[in-house]
Amino acid sequence: MTATPLALIIVAVVVLGTIGFALLSVRRIKMDPQQYMVGGRSFGTIFLWVLLAGEIYTTFTFLGIAGLSYSQGAPAYYVMAYGVCAYLIGYFLAPAIWRVAKDANLLTGPDFFETRYNSRALGVAVALLWFAMIVPYVALQLSGLQILLRIAGYGAYDATASVCVAFVVLALFVFTAGLRGTAWASVVKDVFVLGGVIFAGVAIPMHFFGSPAAMIQRIGIIHPQMLVLPLGTAYHGTVWFVSSVLLSAIGFYMGPHTMTAVYSSRSAQALRRNAMLLPLYQVFLCLMIFAGLSAALIVPGLKGTAVDQSFLLVVQRYYPSWVLGLIAAAGSLAALVPASALLLAGAGLITKNVLGDWLGIATGDKERTLLTRVLVLVVAVLALLFWLDAQRTVVELLLLYYNGITQFAPGVIASFLWKRATAWGVGLGIAAGLSVAVPLAALNITPLGINVGLLGLAANIVVLIGVSLLPFSRPLRKSP
Amino acid sequence: MRLLLAAVPFTALTFAVPFVNRDQPRIAGIPFLLCWIVAWALLAPAFLWAISRLERHDA
Repeated sequence: MTATPLALIIVAVVVLGTIGFALLSVRRIKMDPQQYMVGGRSFGTIFLWVLLAGEIYTTFTFLGIAGLSYSQGAPAYYVMAYGVCAYLIGYFLAPAIWRVAKDANLLTGPDFFETRYNSRALGVAVALLWFAMIVPYVALQLSGLQILLRIAGYGAYDATASVCVAFVVLALFVFTAGLRGTAWASVVKDVFVLGGVIFAGVAIPMHFFGSPAAMIQRIGIIHPQMLVLPLGTAYHGTVWFVSSVLLSAIGFYMGPHTMTAVYSSRSAQALRRNAMLLPLYQVFLCLMIFAGLSAALIVPGLKGTAVDQSFLLVVQRYYPSWVLGLIAAAGSLAALVPASALLLAGAGLITKNVLGDWLGIATGDKERTLLTRVLVLVVAVLALLFWLDAQRTVVELLLLYYNGITQFAPGVIASFLWKRATAWGVGLGIAAGLSVAVPLAALNITPLGINVGLLGLAANIVVLIGVSLLPFSRPLRKSP
Repeated sequence: MRLLLAAVPFTALTFAVPFVNRDQPRIAGIPFLLCWIVAWALLAPAFLWAISRLERHDA
């Protein structure tokens, strides 16, 4: 194990190659806001597939799932379960959202609230809240990237500087290429990530134990408790499992970039077909669980946040540096490509909803595209500064993100199911949900083992219904 | 009817999980709970496909 830069060079070549490929693919596309932000609403099965699966195949596929499997085992299964449940909901929800977006020519997530509830104030408030959740989530991807680059450099190089360089390159790429470029980059990313996942979940157990089944046999002897969930209200027990799957499944389509991915579809049918097939993609996550369990046997004893590095350490110690390079490259793409979709969504909603609709700045097509591009760079710098400043608390902020975005779901779903829902009800519902979920999550309080986001969601729904029934909030609702 | 069909795999992966939270019997060496989740991930497309057939029938 020598400090060779080979692995890092492979990472750099793959990342730059992906960006170059994506840029070549979009070089003849003329950019207007429709094209830049929602790909001209022309995406078919493959682009939708990679954009909607990208949410799950982020850096946390590589680090988080393996880390959770490594330290606790069965609770990691929740990722597979929630993905499938999310697509079961999405089969019905995504085409309905798409129809609204198409008819009203929506560009951003907040546009949906503004149109359905006929309230600019709600649109602006939702835009600001969504934006506040994007920055920590992008920062989180940077932390993942840092771990990957540090391990790929065998600890010999300063990963912080490399992260900054990689991120600036990425921001310039998003500046140029828009959502279509991100979709092309996602195609390459998914090829690499799938390769990495198959290597991790099949090759590693076979190399060390003969087969995945033999590896599980060993786990069953040494750590039998890892193969089942803790009971009831225990930490990461069955109550936590069910509530987390529900929460994440409901929140899945509520990411600002997931909303725009839905808008970018060519048709409602393309979204249905995707929801039908995407659960199969979840099955591959099983392999990352095998990788994490294998690491628990091969490099035991990691504690705290170090568990996220478990499977990479196995690759670093026992495989040649070109293998490490390819795996780290896959992981880096898994961090950078979703981050690029988020940058775009964040810049888009600030340009459109806050600066454009509210303050009346840059409302023409040309100015809007330019402003969105500039804001991509601004958001990128903000996320970078945030990350440099608060590297340690980022994992807690992931909770804020997931607890946060899910609070938008009642407003979206109510707009289809309940004609009396009003802007006041939805807005105050979101406020109630956040003020229950965020403090509890920050203080790490989990009453009865229930995921606190779900409690926030309950408060949200109660307030939404209660306030909507009050007489003063009625007139704001536009007839559908 | 369509929602009911979607509710089957959904329930299997959420509320049913506490009742299948067991290691044995293992199928092909994989713990039962993991088999259950993988099986429903594979079955979910079949349910959604059935729903899409019903929709086409209605239309």
